[in-house]
Amino acid sequence: MNTSVELVEEAAKRTLKASDRIQHRGTDAIIRALAQTARDWLKPDSVWRKRASKEAPAVTGFSKEMVYEAVDLTFGAITEESLRELLEGLRKEVAEPRLTAHFLAGNVPPPGIASICVGLLLKSANLVKLSSRDPVFPTLFVESLRQVDPELAGCIAVFDWRREEIALTQAALAEADAVVAYGDDDTIESLRRMCQPKAHFLGYGHKLSFAMVAREALTKTNLPQLVEAAAFDASVYDQQGCLSPHAFYVEESGEVSPREFAAALAKAMAAYQARVPRGRLTVEEAAQIAKLRGAYEFRSATDTNVLIWASSVGLCACENDGAGETAQAGTPMLPTNWLVVFEEDPMFTASCLNRVIFVKPIRQLESVLQLMQRFASNLSTVGVAPMNEHTTAFAKELAKVGVNRVCPLGQMQRPPLSWQLDR
Amino acid sequence: MNKTALDLQQRVLALIARGVTQSSSHDEFNELAQAIFAFQYERCAPYRAYCDRLRLTPQMVEHWEQIPAVPTSAFKDFALTCFPVDEAVAEFHTSGTTREKSGKHFFHTLELYNAAIKPNFAAHLLPDQARLRMLILTPSPQEAPHSSLSHMMGVVTKEFGTTDSNFFVKGGTLCLEPLVKTLRETEKARQPVFLLGTAFASVHLFDHLAQQNLRFNLTDGSRVMETGGFKGRSREVSKKELYQMFDTFLGIPPMRVANEYGMTELSTQFYDQTLLAGVQTDRKVAPPWSRVLIIDPNTGKEAKEGERGLIRIYDLANLWSAMCIQTEDLGVAISNGFEVLGRAAGAEVRGCSLNAEELRM
Repeated sequence: MNTSVELVEEAAKRTLKASDRIQHRGTDAIIRALAQTARDWLKPDSVWRKRASKEAPAVTGFSKEMVYEAVDLTFGAITEESLRELLEGLRKEVAEPRLTAHFLAGNVPPPGIASICVGLLLKSANLVKLSSRDPVFPTLFVESLRQVDPELAGCIAVFDWRREEIALTQAALAEADAVVAYGDDDTIESLRRMCQPKAHFLGYGHKLSFAMVAREALTKTNLPQLVEAAAFDASVYDQQGCLSPHAFYVEESGEVSPREFAAALAKAMAAYQARVPRGRLTVEEAAQIAKLRGAYEFRSATDTNVLIWASSVGLCACENDGAGETAQAGTPMLPTNWLVVFEEDPMFTASCLNRVIFVKPIRQLESVLQLMQRFASNLSTVGVAPMNEHTTAFAKELAKVGVNRVCPLGQMQRPPLSWQLDR
Repeated sequence: MNKTALDLQQRVLALIARGVTQSSSHDEFNELAQAIFAFQYERCAPYRAYCDRLRLTPQMVEHWEQIPAVPTSAFKDFALTCFPVDEAVAEFHTSGTTREKSGKHFFHTLELYNAAIKPNFAAHLLPDQARLRMLILTPSPQEAPHSSLSHMMGVVTKEFGTTDSNFFVKGGTLCLEPLVKTLRETEKARQPVFLLGTAFASVHLFDHLAQQNLRFNLTDGSRVMETGGFKGRSREVSKKELYQMFDTFLGIPPMRVANEYGMTELSTQFYDQTLLAGVQTDRKVAPPWSRVLIIDPNTGKEAKEGERGLIRIYDLANLWSAMCIQTEDLGVAISNGFEVLGRAAGAEVRGCSLNAEELRM
């Protein structure tokens, strides 16, 4: 897309005019339009779902199955009820901006879509600068909204420009009295500095999430659905979202041990992979996994405190790969679609992502507070199994350590729409 | 030393003694590599356990490319030796961060290591067989007994340098005044010099020269060996920029500057072909007692020429430790040689999760 300052200025004028035209509308009408659009996406044969599955994999790196999953998660969260709840929260917090500039980042669709919904509920004009990692979802969303409510869709203009094109960013910020920015700390800082002094600025940086499993959840009967939920949370968006757990802290002395949990999790990761394959990796990403895997594979051969499971098959040097030649001998460099690493040492180890998950044993849940203390300013979500009186009370303690949201395991990637305001 | 070990050591030394001009045949390398693999499998317990885990034992391996590679990180967790560790005559440590443990490479003998240094160094950096005054921007081996780089500098100074060669890092600091004085002297006397050291130390020197507004025009024949990169340092300078600085501040043009790629975990070094070729090139050629493969981490197989991958090194001189090393560096194969691109660190997160890099673990 070839953007110029003139085009951005023109879009600001156009969307401001459009938002003027909807000021008289009740929010119910806006809610209905958004909910209908979401329902249109969710239909199994929906044209939007088809187009996203076709266009998004190349830019996001996700498999088309993951894009399909992303459609379900993104638009499944947008209902009349959830929009009403979001609006309630908005009314308490934010003065109504005339024009909102959204700077999207990353390849995970829900935050950008939710951000646009917020802008529309506030009857703002919206300039959306697309993420280079996902120019597809927001663009298709606006198109789909246009089919349901063209006047409402007219309040949004979508653009694509590179970070270096500062003049365009400045043009977008010139008129904005509200700015929503996603990205790493540096990006957010530089956008904050460029804003109009009176503009309301919301920055959403990169965050860290993890999960905990209490011993009450670790029973043989519960294990299959427990690890299915865990694998889902760890695998969705190939673990690249801020809600994706890096590690599972698993309490000892349950019917099922942390090691058994890890082994079962490995099976569940394989099952999920078969249904929703991991996407393509860059050389750097694959190298990170190879590095981590090499280190742990070597250690686990001698050190009983380390266990590692991977998806690659064919470690036997004598396997014939069917093409007539002997398959490349097994080395840890054989690619894997996921990794589960069990390590006795409870100290937190960051994952290199792309479905690389750590399992660490703890004596009791409370140990987590100390272990995660130093990441306080970076924490987002903690998934917990089970959600009971004990763990819910513990959630308050986690909030003190900076945790923004506590939810049941399996729901980490399904925050309510209203969470957009709390994150 | 038992018969097998002695025999293997002699064979590797004989291969090294032939020098670098003639490559080793596939069969010769294959046979020796497999013999060393069997030796290391037998003698090094953590390596044997790893090979067993992969089901890649000496019986199953038919080709040297199948020999399991030891990740460099393993040197942090284990003493990888084919001899009792308390018999080590030397140990070199990786420069770990304060948080991480450092890796340790133990030596049963330095005979192989020292032998591997000399012909390779001479062929690549002294093709004119010059004996030069060496100005070394590293600590001396006496001051840094666990630095493989310092040890190497000690060996080459003794073997190839003039008696007025010197080390210019003392007590952990670059001795700028004496160094500048020496540069002035040698420039005046039209004595060519050989500057060796880390890229980081060189930049430190250049910052000083810039501040003092000093420039030198060192005599023809002067040259540089730089190594080390900028791993984890706050200031990063590209190779191109760095080489421009050697020219600007010292009058040594890029075609007389060669990069050395080495590491604590290896016994063998790899050099840019620049001084041999007479033109600046990033291409390195593995000496005959070694092999370098570029592995595509997405397929686990050898990368196509020109495509990036992880550098895997087979170093026969590592007889007493681990011959096959999987590095964490990215490289690319170029016509019979390879280029080192840098550490495979800092994969940019495509989503919004914090990763290890951002957490500065």
